[in-house]
Amino acid sequence: MLWTERRWTGVAALLCTLTAGWVNAQSTPAFNRQVIVIDPAHGGTDGGAQIDDHLEEKDVTLAVAGRLRSLLAARGFTVVSTRQGEPGGVLTTDQRAETANRVHAVACLVIHASASGNGVYIGASAISSPLAAVPQSASVTRVSNGAVPWDRAQEAYISQSLGLANQVGTALARAKVPLAMGRVAMRPLDNLMCPAISFEIATLHSGSDATPVSDEDYQQRVAEAIAGALVLWKNQAQQPDFVTIPRPGGGA
Amino acid sequence: MIFRRGFGRFKRDGSETDSPSEGRLSKDGPAQGAAVVTFVPRLPWRKSAIVQFEQSIPKYQRVLFYVLLAAAVLMGFFLFYERTQARDRLAARTDATPLEAPVSTSTESFTLDLASDEDGSVTPVQRQIALPLEPSVRARALLERLVAEYALPDAKHPLASGAAVDDVFLLKLPIADPNADPATTAADAGQEGELAVINLRSSFVNQHPSGVEVEMLTVLSMIGTLHANFSDITQVRFLVDGQPKDTLAGHADLGRVYPAVDTTVGAAQLQPAGGTQ
Repeated sequence: MLWTERRWTGVAALLCTLTAGWVNAQSTPAFNRQVIVIDPAHGGTDGGAQIDDHLEEKDVTLAVAGRLRSLLAARGFTVVSTRQGEPGGVLTTDQRAETANRVHAVACLVIHASASGNGVYIGASAISSPLAAVPQSASVTRVSNGAVPWDRAQEAYISQSLGLANQVGTALARAKVPLAMGRVAMRPLDNLMCPAISFEIATLHSGSDATPVSDEDYQQRVAEAIAGALVLWKNQAQQPDFVTIPRPGGGA
Repeated sequence: MIFRRGFGRFKRDGSETDSPSEGRLSKDGPAQGAAVVTFVPRLPWRKSAIVQFEQSIPKYQRVLFYVLLAAAVLMGFFLFYERTQARDRLAARTDATPLEAPVSTSTESFTLDLASDEDGSVTPVQRQIALPLEPSVRARALLERLVAEYALPDAKHPLASGAAVDDVFLLKLPIADPNADPATTAADAGQEGELAVINLRSSFVNQHPSGVEVEMLTVLSMIGTLHANFSDITQVRFLVDGQPKDTLAGHADLGRVYPAVDTTVGAAQLQPAGGTQ
C-alpha cells in the first residue's frame, strides 16, 4: 500500500515537471526572422530630452524610426512600430513591451536621442549582469507555474541581445560613427521577449565640427548601418535553448 | 580797470577792501604817495557760496549739516563695502568647487569613479579629501564631492553645480519586516551588508541632462564610488526628495535596487568587431 502511494506520488511529480517545462517552452515561443520591432521612445506629452530650443527627443526618434522602417521594408522585413505618430497621451513602457512581445520579432530596437554624448550609444539590458537589479523578496521571483516574471522577460534572450548589440556596433564602427556600448537599466528593455537593444543617437563630434542629431544625412547614415546589420543578424540569431521550435503548419 | 565784485579781492597796505574805487590803476603806474592796491584773485564760485552759506545759516545748523554730510559719506562707503562682501558671499555659495580641507583635519585617500560621456567609461581616480567620520555623513560628503567634480569646467561628464545629495541612509540587511511572509523573510535572510539609500535633491534631478548614456553614467558613478570606499555597502537604492521616482531624467531606472559593484569594469561582453571609436 505504501509502495503504491509512493509510486503515484512519483508519477504526479513527473507529470508536474513535464507540464512546467511545456508551459515554460510555450512562454518563450520561437521568433519570426522576418519581423523587426522598432520602438521610437517617448511621444505624446512625454517629449523626452530637449535636443535644442525647438527640437524634442520624441521628434528625432520618430524621424530615425521612419528612416529605419523604410530601409528595413526595402530589405524584406516586416516592421512593427510601437508608435506611428503622436499618441494622444503617454504610451507606457509596458504597453510598448506588450506590443513587441506579441509578434516574436527577431530583433527589437528601442530608439533614443540625446543632446549629450558623441555618436551612438548602444545598450543591452543589465539583466544577468553584475548590475542586475537585486530581487527584494523571494515572492517576487518565485515562479511556480513556469511563467516568466515581467521584470525578467529579457533574461532568456540576453545572450542574443548582446550578440545583436555587437552586430550593430560593428556596422556603426564600419560606418565611422563614434560608438559607446554598455549595459543599461532601462525599461522596456527588461520586459522584451526578443533580442533587444537600445541605441541613442547623439551629436556627432568630429574635431571642431559638430553634426546635430537633426541632420538628415547623419540619421540616414546611422539607419543604413543598422539596417545592414539586421540583415546579417536575421540569419545569425539563435533561439533560446529551452524554446520549442513549432512544427511546420503548427502555431508559433 | 574795474573789477567786478566776487572775482577777486583788493589788497592795500596789508588791509583788504572789496571796493576798487580807492585804488584805480593808472597807465603810468601808481602816483606818488598813493596807496598801492593789488588785486588778489579768488574763486568766486566756491568761496562766495561758502561765505554766503556761513553768513546766512546759523552755526548749529551748519554743524549739523556737516555732521549729516559726513555721516552720509560714511554710510555710502559702508554700503559699498557691504555690497562687495555680499557679492563675494553669494559667489562663494554658488561655487561648487570643493573647499580646501581644514588644516586641523587630516585628509585621506578616496576613490572616485568618474564617468566620461565621450566613451561611456567609468574610471577610478584617487583624491585626497577630508571627510567626517560618521559613515552616512561620510558617504553623503563623498557623493557631493563626486558631483562637484562634474561641475568643473573641464569635466567629461558635465553636470550642473549645486547640492545633489540630501542624505544617505545606511540600513543593515536583511531589513526586518514584522508583516513579512516567513518564507520571504527566510529568503531575505541571505542578504548581507548594508543598503545605502541615496536621497537625491529634486533640484539636481531636474537639472540633470536627459539621455540613456548620461543618466546611466551618473548612476554607475555613484554606485561605483560607494562600492570602492564602503565595503559594507552591498545594495544601493535611490530616492528623490524622499520619494521613489521611476527614472533619473526619463531614462535610467531609479525604481530598482542596484547591487553595489565595481562599475569601472564595463560590459566585457559588449565589444564590436573592430572596437569602438
